[in-house]
Amino acid sequence: MSELLDHLLTTPLLAIALTLAAYFAGDRLLHLVGAPGWCPPILVAALLLAGVLALTGIDYADYREGAGWLMLLLGPATVALGLPLYQQMGHIRALWRPLLFCLPVATILAALYAVAIAWLLGATPETLASLAPKSVTAPIAIGITEQLGGSVALMMGGLLLTGVVAIGFVELVARWLGIRDERLLGLALGINGHALGTVRAFEIGPTAGAFASLGMSLTGILTALLLPLAWRLPGLVG
Amino acid sequence: MAVLRGFLWLLGFLLLGDALVTLAGLPVSAGVAGLLLLTAWLMLRGTVNADIAAAARPLIGVLAMLIMPGVVGAFFILDTLAGQWLAILAALVGGTLLSVFTTLWLMRRLMGEESLDHE
Repeated sequence: MSELLDHLLTTPLLAIALTLAAYFAGDRLLHLVGAPGWCPPILVAALLLAGVLALTGIDYADYREGAGWLMLLLGPATVALGLPLYQQMGHIRALWRPLLFCLPVATILAALYAVAIAWLLGATPETLASLAPKSVTAPIAIGITEQLGGSVALMMGGLLLTGVVAIGFVELVARWLGIRDERLLGLALGINGHALGTVRAFEIGPTAGAFASLGMSLTGILTALLLPLAWRLPGLVG
Repeated sequence: MAVLRGFLWLLGFLLLGDALVTLAGLPVSAGVAGLLLLTAWLMLRGTVNADIAAAARPLIGVLAMLIMPGVVGAFFILDTLAGQWLAILAALVGGTLLSVFTTLWLMRRLMGEESLDHE
């Protein structure tokens, strides 16, 4: 049995098939049980896949090596995000003044709050580097974490948790502040909750969705530009 | 064929971005550089090339699947993070609450609220 597994793992095909199978199975499972809005299908799919790996005794490193072929597509997929960004240009032009001030501040604070809290509680530099891009959409965040020297696995976990709690907090804080403007809700969801927040924003309405994808792409790009520079500043990580 | 032609366009921008980042020594990933180059190019052209759209839409649609191998990794590092749990959870949950509050408050002050056209 283990010899057969070893043989099947000599090519990336098994890892790719397992990933695809878990992806579709997770999606179907969520539909069957009537998923709550905050539960991302990817979380279920990843849990299923982790369970299968643990049951079959496939080493994560072996799986990762094969699945790397899938992740190779993240490069062109990141470039592809330029298309929706271009299509948001109308919104960007109409609101360029508040966005110009608001986005850099929100982007920097999103990373700074998390890094400061973790640093105060004694997290290692590697952990800090993995938490810093927590509000950035995954394909961009992977590149950032690799440059900062963080762990991609920890960053992914953090990203997932951030997306889920951001959705809850945006609803909570917006109710508390009495904000019902779809543009603001969308931007807050996209800036803080990356792709998961954007999906939620589209459920609120098309305007919220458009502003969320705008917030998500601009946050991703700004963080990718600013964070590696900020990381070079001495004294930040100690 | 449109999908493949579009895919070639995306790879072209990615490689161009990679070359630019490497030559200029920029601290940005090749993908982000390619993203910005593609956006700039579309703005110059003023229209979306149908081939690029045909390749970009399905790729964006499966983004969640493409990051899954990384997400799965999160479950396998749980024991290496012993002693840092509090720091990590506090940073993620507390940091997100603070930044959600700041974002909403700041945006409302700067953009005003369109209170009439909701719902």
